[in-house]
Order: sequence, then structure tokens, then C-alpha cells
Amino acid sequence: MTDVVVTGIAAGAVYGLFALGLVLVYKATKILNFAQAEIGSFATFVAWGLITSWKFPWLLGALGGLLVAGALGLAFERAVVRPLIDAPRLTLVVATIGMGLLLAGLEFKIWGASPRIMPSPFHGDGLTLGNVTLPPARLLALGLTAVAAGASAWFFRRTTFGLAILAAAQDVVGVRLTGIRLRHLSAFTWLTSSVVGAAAGIVIALSLGAFAPTFLNGIMLLGFAAAVLGGMTSLPGALVGGIVVGITQAVVSHYWISVAGLVETVMFGAIVAVLLLRPRGLLGRLA
Amino acid sequence: MKVRFPTLLVTVLVCAALPPVLSRAGLWGFDQYHALILCFGVTYALAALPLNLLIGYAGQISLGHAAFLGIGAYTSGIIAGRLGLPFTLGLVVAAAVGALAALVIGLPALRLRGLYLALVTLGFGLAMASMVFRLRSVTGGYAGQAVPRPQAGTFVFLRNADLLAIVILVFGLVWALDRNLLRTKVGRGFLALREDEEVAAAFGVDVPRYKLYAFALYGGLSAVAGSVFGHVVGFAQQESFTFDLSLLFVVIVLIGGLRSRPGVATAAFFFGVTPRFFSFLQGWELIIAPAIVMFTLVRHPGGLGQTFAEVRGLRGRKAKAKGATRTDDDESETAHASLVLPRPASAQELANTTSLRAKADGGAGVPLEVRDVSVRFGGLVAVDSASLTVDGGRITGLIGPNGAGKSTLFNAISGFVRPTKGRVLLHGTDITDLPPHRRAALGIGRTFQQIGLVKDLTVTENLLLAQHRLAGYGAVPALAYLPGVGRGERDLRQRAEETLHALQFERFAESELRELSHGQQRIVELAAALLTAPGVLLLDEPSAGMSPAAAEALAERLLQVRDELGQTILLIEHHLPLVLATCTTVHVMDAGRMLTSGTPSEVVTDPSVVSAYLGERVA
Amino acid sequence: MTAPVPALLTVSGLETGFGANQILHGVELTLARGRAAVLLGLNGAGKSVTLKTISGLQPAWAGSVDFDGRELAGLEPEDRIRAGLGHVLQTKSVFPDLSVAENLRLGGAILRNKQRFAENLARVHDIYPLLSDRRSQLAGSMSGGERAMLAVARALMADPRLLLIDEPSAGLSPKMVEQLGGTLRKVRESGTGLLMVEQNVGFGLDLADDVFVMEKGRVVYRDTAENLDRSRVATLLGIGDLLGAAAGKARPRTRAARPAPTRRRGVPIRARGAGGAGKANKATA
Repeated sequence: MTDVVVTGIAAGAVYGLFALGLVLVYKATKILNFAQAEIGSFATFVAWGLITSWKFPWLLGALGGLLVAGALGLAFERAVVRPLIDAPRLTLVVATIGMGLLLAGLEFKIWGASPRIMPSPFHGDGLTLGNVTLPPARLLALGLTAVAAGASAWFFRRTTFGLAILAAAQDVVGVRLTGIRLRHLSAFTWLTSSVVGAAAGIVIALSLGAFAPTFLNGIMLLGFAAAVLGGMTSLPGALVGGIVVGITQAVVSHYWISVAGLVETVMFGAIVAVLLLRPRGLLGRLA
Repeated sequence: MKVRFPTLLVTVLVCAALPPVLSRAGLWGFDQYHALILCFGVTYALAALPLNLLIGYAGQISLGHAAFLGIGAYTSGIIAGRLGLPFTLGLVVAAAVGALAALVIGLPALRLRGLYLALVTLGFGLAMASMVFRLRSVTGGYAGQAVPRPQAGTFVFLRNADLLAIVILVFGLVWALDRNLLRTKVGRGFLALREDEEVAAAFGVDVPRYKLYAFALYGGLSAVAGSVFGHVVGFAQQESFTFDLSLLFVVIVLIGGLRSRPGVATAAFFFGVTPRFFSFLQGWELIIAPAIVMFTLVRHPGGLGQTFAEVRGLRGRKAKAKGATRTDDDESETAHASLVLPRPASAQELANTTSLRAKADGGAGVPLEVRDVSVRFGGLVAVDSASLTVDGGRITGLIGPNGAGKSTLFNAISGFVRPTKGRVLLHGTDITDLPPHRRAALGIGRTFQQIGLVKDLTVTENLLLAQHRLAGYGAVPALAYLPGVGRGERDLRQRAEETLHALQFERFAESELRELSHGQQRIVELAAALLTAPGVLLLDEPSAGMSPAAAEALAERLLQVRDELGQTILLIEHHLPLVLATCTTVHVMDAGRMLTSGTPSEVVTDPSVVSAYLGERVA
Repeated sequence: MTAPVPALLTVSGLETGFGANQILHGVELTLARGRAAVLLGLNGAGKSVTLKTISGLQPAWAGSVDFDGRELAGLEPEDRIRAGLGHVLQTKSVFPDLSVAENLRLGGAILRNKQRFAENLARVHDIYPLLSDRRSQLAGSMSGGERAMLAVARALMADPRLLLIDEPSAGLSPKMVEQLGGTLRKVRESGTGLLMVEQNVGFGLDLADDVFVMEKGRVVYRDTAENLDRSRVATLLGIGDLLGAAAGKARPRTRAARPAPTRRRGVPIRARGAGGAGKANKATA
């Protein structure tokens, strides 16, 4: 059982990363960012292209992907989010759907539909704990998540800018009246969310070995589940939610492997249950 | 735009008859392939209408649209395929199952809004796709469920053109239902609850019930569309009903322009047809289309519907309304409007909806009594043991400094806030536990500080909405637009026209409410509130934003209403001359408590009242 | 004769509204350095909107806002705050999920100089010792009066040269109102300009040097508090009767008191339009 749980935690770390990006955007704009998956996917392709075709060192290639993701996030914020700041939330949600579709289309056009293999920078088999071997990619995921957790804890409470982002989720006008520029906050939110999604995407591609356009769609939905579980307004909640989702997935698919689609159903049944019974999730504060 | 029913019927029949004829005659090279493409297009349009109903009219959301389509397709597959029953039965059963499933989602929706509702529907959609649609026993598992061509007796609709005829007929039916909806109180009720649930409830719309209606209609009609889809494709498969499809339909509804039936149908048709036409673009269409979507959202948010409206507007109708002055000239409006008084509904018409009114003249207690009402919000006591009575046929004032709790007390009387203690009695009947729409039905009318009307509706539609509880027909007959419904609507319309005439606002009849100035909107709101001759009318700062002269004219109107209609009024006001001019009794609140009561002149010279308003220092 | 000292704030021809509704129809007001002014008027007269247009939260359709020689029109609110404005909204909202200290920290966010930040923090703690004790308490868990204090303190952290404050006394208990009045007096004495909107006339008149009364989007009466025509103001505010009654019982005050005009019960409404005075008097019987 512990092996299953450990595997689940490792997988859940990634979902938590994804969810972190989703919650960040939600706190700032009160919308669901359906482009999260595709930004991550696009960045992964860019990284892959840099590493394989342009022969970049792995790390530089990965960074290149992150950079592109950040640029996409900033561009989207500037061109779409800002003009729609007063529009109904649904309009903005649909704009993110559009963005996702656009990026998917670009991926199909540029790289085609066939799966690609993400080269691994690691040597060795990873870490063995008891009966479970955690491959290097999973370890990277865990490491990244830990770093993300630490960084966000420090950033959001210790820096003025971070505080301002939290404050903007509570009272936008109040933040403006302190003289802090709202557009900086907005740009930062989307930049970070995109980069985090891209990091998660690259790591997942490493874990899976092969990836193709729209490979992150399923993960995005698990990310939503994680965000809901943790409470859509809680950043640490996103990470905790991710772990819970990961463990649940591992447990269900281990013990009930024969029932098709059970994992997703349980997951989404859980979303519905949480929203009905405790909309603020595990750690969230307001509904 | 009102298309007369026979025209719609004729158009649909002609369109449905055309393809089979063309196909058999071999005209225009119309063959199986073209017919199939058109089938997809019309089916998509059919599938988009219910989602537009849910989001555009009722203001709810579904991110699980594909699941309802799937329910329809699988049901038809089972009924017509596995059980060999007529396809029409399949459609009916699908509608029932879809409606039921939607109610399952809708019940929790009563408490959830916006994002959370979206997530629940998302979860539902995914659960259906990942589990239910994969169960072998129910749906044939991965292989899917075959959905055979419709059959009428021995004639099988094998020709695509013949199938297209059926698709067009079903589309026409759903279009007619949708249109009927908007012409009746049900559609107006949806639009009202989308804009502001409180305003809707104040007009007597049973908000929870209407939300359920919206979901049931959505589920049923979506399932019907799904059935048709199943027949067109020939089978129902789990992969057809994915999350992506749900998202696509949300995009379609927005691009089509929320609430615009032609816009949404056109956009959907386009999305249904073009993948087949544009496949020669070899993937560029997957980039161009989303780019167009995003561009539209940012630059042209009203979508196709906005475009259609602009084209219609060029024909001068709207230009005429816009020419009507929107000045802040409150004074001339209220001073010269000869009468803010429509002929109210006759006592007989009201008798069947407001049983208490028959008692009213018998004087079963004062019209309104508030006994020891307290309202707490968490730790804050907003109203502390307030009591007052409102005498029949008189105007009673409620004054006090800002934050005294007057609006909270109003909300407690009209049902938007539950008192933690105390009772509210209407003609001796305890209404404390009744929801707002029930109180409206019993005769409590009210206005709101922020103009309690629906900004998206025209002035006429607002006046029709105000008569919601007088519409003498039920929701189900409304869908079919039975003759009784038409008669009921005509009565409502006539009263609305009389009101417009009395106000000299005929030129605004088809203008959207938001096009009027604040003062003009306030006048419409008052007229709407009076239209149903409520037993007790609560006016919440009616003179807010008016100059003293306009407020004076308003005072005269209120006195007229009192004298000529015997209307009982409870008034919150800041403008003391208005209070002095109209009120027989004045109650004063301060810091949540009733300070004192008396005639206007008594109250105004009371030192405790003076210091409440002006602060300790002045008194 | 020395050159005239430019006013701290000059608002001219300010117009704005929402959609089709115009709210301000050319607001004009001037505030000299070191003075406090109160903006009075009925609900809907446009007082809060005026403050919001000055601070930039409401975009102006026309007109100019000159702040200490600098034209603010067209600037975002953030830039106006950086130019030296402070604005406490009617809601007196704070950031409920952040602590008192974090709220204050955000208030002083635009200060580059750590020293200045420390000084302002010390000053704020001096005015409100309570905040110093409750540094780590969540702002949302404080009482209404305490939150109001924090809201004002937060605005003061940036050391504004002009503080716009919307209905400071609203929703506060009399004791808190007293305390707030004391704070605002201290703020004024330290040289910060003060422009407040108030419904509580007594509180406003007590603090202000200058009085502006608004009606339907315009300033229709302005004067210093000393020379105020109280009956005119009271009529404009629709509380003429109250003030009339009070004036009869007024204590002698430090400001020159005008003799109470004799009033009979039931003030006649100005006869205008199709109405006529006859009908108005009917109701006072």
C-alpha cells in the first residue's frame, strides 16, 4: 500500500504544480484558464525542438520552453485579458478556450500529430524506496514542486509585490489605491501561471517518455480537480489537492484496474461532492 | 423580430420538403454527400439552441453539454436500435431522460453560482464520458451503440436528403419552442433571473422553480438534439461526446451572440459544416478559427447576434428611439407626465392570484405590521426589535440617517432577508417565513435603490414582466403557446400599452431600458410597481438622484396615487420635504432601532431626531 | 503683495457618468493648502463620484483636476496616488485576509525609502496605538470601527498631501466617530489637505474650513464654514426643518452663530412647475 501511496504522491506533485497555475489565475481573474494545458504543451514542444533539432543542452532547451511559455502568457494577458477586464467572466473563459485551441492548431501544424520522444537528461534509474523505484523524472517533479511551494510561500507573504497579488484577489480597488500598478500584477500572474504550467508539462513529458499535441488535456482536468479539492482560492491548497488527487488515482487504478474510467469518474464525482458540500475545499477560505 | 407563427410553420415545412424533392429530381447536383453535410450543420444548430437557452436566457452555465447530447444519442440507440421501437418514441424518451439528468444537476445548482456551477457541470460531463458511456451493459462499451435510420412504417429514411427533412422538422420544432418561450412569462422570468434574482423575485418569479425549469428544458432539448445526432452519424460512441465538444458548444453560443437565436444557429451551422468543407486547408483552419474566435470576443463581444441587430437597426427603428431625448431633464419629465397611473388590474383578475386581497377591504388587520423584528448579520445587529404599522390608503414614511437599518428592514418585509426574531404580518397573515416571490403574489410590491428592472429588456418587456403574477397561464401551456396563453399575453400587453400612453412614453416602448435616463427609468419602475395594484407598496428612496423640484413633482404623483387608487405606501426617504408633503405618519430609525414615530411635523422638531441626523454637537 | 499661493486642488468643469447616465455636470471646486473641506449633498448628488473622479477610479468625460500644479486628467489612479493623493472609500475596506501589519505595508508600498516607511509607520502607530498592538491580527476579524481605523491608517502610510475620505463617520458608533474626528483633526494639523464627503452634517461642519454643497452633479453653494448660510444649506439638503428646529435650540458656539430664523411648522416647498404650493401644504395638516 505504501508503494502505491508514494507513487501517488510523486504523480500528485505534478498535478499540484498544474493546479498552482490554475489557482493563481483564478485568484486574480475569477476565471478558469482552459489554455493552461496547451501553453504547457506548446512549451514542451519548443523545448523538445531546441534540444533535438537545435542541439541545445537539455537545461537550456527546457529554459527556452519556459521562456516561450512566459511570453505566451504575457502576450495573452496584454492582448486578451486586459481588454476584457470588465467583460462577463464567461467571455474571458471562452477566450482561454480559444487560446488553447489556437495553440493546439499551431502544434499540429508545426510539429504534426505523431508522438515525439522527450530525451532524458538523466543517467541512472532514480531512487529506490522499499519496493518502489521513483524514476528521475518523478524526482524532478517532486523537487520542482517543493521549490514551487517554498518559493510561493516566501514570495507571497514576504514581498510587497506578492502581498499585493494576494490583496488584489480580495479587493482590486484597494490595491490600486495603494499606488501599486494593477497591470504589473496581472502580467505577473499570467507569466507565472504559464511558466509553472510549462514546467509541469516538460516534467510530465519526461515521465511519459513520449508526448503529442494536446497531451496535457487530461492532466489539466486532474489539475482542476486538485484545485477544487484544495479550495480554488488557496495556493498551498492547490499543492495539497494535487497530492490527494495523485494518491487517489494511484490507489484506484491499482486496486480496481479492470474498471474502465473509474479513476476519472471518482475524481469528478469528488469534484461534484466537494462543490456541493464544502465549496471552499480543504484549505480555501471564501466560497 | 416577431415572425408570425404560420410563417414559421410554412418556412419549416418548405425547407423540410425541399431536400427530398431536390434529391429525387437530381437538381443542382444535390446528392448524398451534400445532404449529409447539411445534416451536420442543422444538427449542430439544433444542439446549440438549448445551450443558448440555458446560458443566454437563464444565465446558468453548462460545461457538460456533450454529456446531454450523448444521453440523447445513446437513448435513441437503445430504443430504436436495440429495442426496435419507433424513432419518435426514442426522441421522447431521450427528452425525458435528458430532462431528468439535468434536474439532478440543477438541484445543487440552486445553491451554486458562476464558477462552481460550471465545475459541477464539467464534473458531470466528464463522469458521464468516462464511465457511463463506457459501460458495456448500458451503451455497448467502446464499440458504441448503433443508432439506426429512422423508420416510418416500412419506409426507411435511408436517403440523407430524407433524413435531412426530419432534422429540419425537429429543428423547426425546437426553434418554435424557444421562440414561444420568449413571448411568454417563462422567457421573461428567465431573463429576469439572469439579470438579478432579487428583482425577479420581487415581481413574483419563483426563482428556484424557474432555475429548475431552465435546467429541465435544457436537458430535454439537448437530449433530443443528441438523438438526432445519433441518427445522423449512425452510432453513439464514447469518443464523440468529449469535454472538447462541450467547450466547442460554449464557444459557439458566445460567438453566435448570447440570446440571439439566429446568431447562435448560424454560428453552430458554420461549425458543423466547415470542418468538412475546409479540410483542404490542411490544418490551417485549426489555427484561423480559434484566432477569429478570440478576435471576436475582444473586439465584437456581441458576436453574430450583435451583427444581426446592427443590420436590423440600420432600418431606422432603433434610430427613432435613440432620437428620443435622454436628457437628465427630470424636472420636465415628472412635472409634465400627466399621470403615472395605469389602469390597474381589476379586482376580479387579481382575486384568483391573491386570495388575501378579497379580505383586504374587509380589513383583516392593518395592511402591514412589523412586530419586534431583529436582523443580525453575523455579529452585527442591523435591526434591533423594530416595530411599525402601516395604515391602509395612507403613505407612511421611514426615515433615519444613513446606516440606520431602513433598507435592511425593507428587505425583511419583502422577504430578501430573514429576521432573526420577530414577525411580519400582511393583513393579519404571518408572512415572515415566505420567500419573496410568495410575498409578491400576496400583494407586496417594491422598488429598489438601483432601479429594480431588467436593463436588457425593453420598456414594454419590463412592464410585461412586472405583471408576471397576473399572467393567467401556466409554464407548460406557455411552451406550446396555447390559445389561452395568447389571450393572457394580449391582456398584459394592453395594460402595458395603456401605461406607456399614460406616461407619454410610447416612443420608448421598444427601447432597451438602459437607454433611458435615470429619472425616466425610475418613472417606469414606479409605473411597473403600481401596475399590479399591490396591497402594500414599498418605495426605496424613490427620489434619489432627483433635484428638489423633481422630488416635489414626485410627491404630487404619490399623493395622486394615494387619493385615486387608495394605494397603501411605505416610503424610505432622505429628502424631508417629500416626506413632509406626502406622509401621514413617519417612523424614525437610528442605529437599527426605532427612535420615534409621529406626524411629520412632530418628528421633524423632535430633538432626538435632530441629533440623530446632525450629530450630537448641533442639538 | 506676495504672489498668490496656488491652490492644492482645483477641479473645473468635471463631467462624468455611467453609460447613458451623466452624473457630474461640471463640478467646480478649489481647495487651498492646509485647509479641510467638506462636500455635502443629498444621496445621488454625485459626492462620492466626485471623489472617485478626482482619484481616477471613475474616468472623467470632461474637465480638469489640477493637483498642486499638476494636471491629473488622463492619469491612472495608481499614478495619482503616487502623485500624493490618498483616498479612503465609503466602504472603508481593508484586505480582510491579510494582517494589520501587511495591510499597512501595502499602504506604504510606493515608498522607496525605508526610513520614510518607518517614520510613517511610527506616526500611524502614534495616532492609533491599537494597530500597534494588533500587528498580526487578520484585518477581517476586526470590528467595523477598528477596520475603519485601519483603512485611514493605510491611506496615511503613503504620506499623502491630500486625503480624500468618503463618509468617514458612516457606520461608526458615536464614540468611534469622536475618535475619528480627533484623528482627522491631527491629520489636518500636520499639513495634509482634507476633502471629505459627509452625510453627518454636524461632524462635517465641525472639521471643515470650507463647505461645498452639491446637487444633481454640480456644486451649487460654496463658502467657508464660518460664513455659512445654514438655512440655505439645510434647504439644499432637505433637512431644513431639522436644522430650523435645532437652530432654535443651538448652544452658543465659537463660530459666529446666525440668529435662528423663525419658522412655522411645515416648511412650504418652493412652488414651481405644475405643482403649486397649495397641494404641498395639504400634507402637513
